Amino acid sequence: MKRNVPLMIAMLGGLIMMIQYFIPHQASQDVFDYYTEWAPLVGSFALILGVGSITRVHVHKIRAKAPNWPFSLAVLIPLYLIPLFAFFLPASIGGGTENPSLFDFMYSRVQIPIQATMFSMLAFYIASAAFRAFRAKSALATVLLVTAVIVMLAQVPIGDLLGRWLPDTGLWILRFPNLAAKRAIELGVGFGMLATCLKIIFGVERGWLGGAGE
Amino acid sequence: MNNWERFLNIDRRWIYLLIAIVVIVPFFIRMGLPVVPTQEVRSVYDLVDSLGPDDAIFIGWDFDPGTEAENQPMGVAVLRHAFARHVPVFVTAYWPLAQGLAEMGLASVFDTRVPGNFVYVPWAEWESVRAAGYAGRDSLESAWEAAGNSLPEGARGWVFEGVDLANLGYLPYFSLVILGMGTSIANQYPTDAYGNNLHDMPILQAHKNLREVDLAVTLAGSTACMSWVVYGTSRVGLPVAFGVTAVMATDYFPYIQSGQIVGMMGGLRGAAEYEVLETEGGYTETTGKAYRGMDVQSLAHILIILLVILGNIAYFAGGFHKKTAMKNRR
Repeated sequence: MKRNVPLMIAMLGGLIMMIQYFIPHQASQDVFDYYTEWAPLVGSFALILGVGSITRVHVHKIRAKAPNWPFSLAVLIPLYLIPLFAFFLPASIGGGTENPSLFDFMYSRVQIPIQATMFSMLAFYIASAAFRAFRAKSALATVLLVTAVIVMLAQVPIGDLLGRWLPDTGLWILRFPNLAAKRAIELGVGFGMLATCLKIIFGVERGWLGGAGE
Repeated sequence: MNNWERFLNIDRRWIYLLIAIVVIVPFFIRMGLPVVPTQEVRSVYDLVDSLGPDDAIFIGWDFDPGTEAENQPMGVAVLRHAFARHVPVFVTAYWPLAQGLAEMGLASVFDTRVPGNFVYVPWAEWESVRAAGYAGRDSLESAWEAAGNSLPEGARGWVFEGVDLANLGYLPYFSLVILGMGTSIANQYPTDAYGNNLHDMPILQAHKNLREVDLAVTLAGSTACMSWVVYGTSRVGLPVAFGVTAVMATDYFPYIQSGQIVGMMGGLRGAAEYEVLETEGGYTETTGKAYRGMDVQSLAHILIILLVILGNIAYFAGGFHKKTAMKNRR
């Protein structure tokens, strides 16, 4: 029961949405509209499940004083504090979501700079890694290296100054060899996704059940 | 340890310092290197340029703060272009954090301290004009100015919320929201991000679903942009243009060639190209942040290429390639 009911719901839902796509009738459109309206609502309830789950995991780590348990506090405190700032704190003492507010401060002065910094640091790591690891050790590695240099120069205006052939060659690499390789990969991924979807709909792939009923 | 080996094992902090220098210095010494627009960006620009007040576009803020440096200038450039041509704009957000970024993008276009910007008129502020009867954008602008409102010096024009702009904001499971907007935008978004009733807005009355929208520009740092193609283009024929990070741009060339997307702004370079086209088209006096950032990128790329070349010289001159070959033979 614990396994068969979710499997049946997945199968019915998948089949209905699949068949619906090919039926040009108002009843079919109504089914589609109904689904697209309630699916986000169901998804919103999944958020409650997610918050509950993450809380349980981290509370357990804190209680057990597991390695790096203070990081669990860094997860839980903002998780509950920020909604508190946004929805429960009176506006007179910095509550609400308007600017200025504590919520807005945490978002624009803490979260945005943190995320932007994390991504920006990639430039430093890439430079160091390129210096240490990007070697023309073989013919294939040399092709990769030369291609990378051309595309890198083609992406910046200094490449135009070195000669128009450079950005043109860079664009040619992106528009033709890159396109061909990407299309092959995308097709492979697409067929793989189709096969996985069919396996889920017909109950062959059951990993999403999370081991329920086993 | 010989000199080559010592060089190859240089403390990585020296490399970090070099990168920091080439990133910081161009902010003080402008090079103003020329940016030549590519066909991929020009296609997006030309499409927006062909639209007018009877058309509408979506701009999807589908990125989070990690890729703000690349994606935000694209959004700002397209917003400016659309507002200059009075093309109604719907703004959406794929992620919760993206809504704040969208508002920052709008705020930078509405900052009237900057010449060439637009003056934002919130929905509630022009209620009295609306009560007298809305009969098109031109008459609204005349009535608004007749009511004693005038454009500040240097401002390019008015942006009336509900006519020129609807900030729809974030909704969970955005792929399904795109799917639903194919039938009705107002069913998915009964109110906008500020709680205004969308059913009352002229922009919604003129463009009820994605079939009545002329372009969606999705600005993304992840595969979120694909949702617009899968659920917008393939389902209702919505023309879609991408504004993606430079590392992602290579993934989407097949979609341009197949005609599934109109064009693409790839990375900061793409945004800079759009800014150049806007300036050439007379929509802005000067180029923006992306164009300025190209000096930084040029120097950083040159530095990385030099490091790779020096690394290879040291590798071969130090005879390390022979050691690698011997190791491989063993």
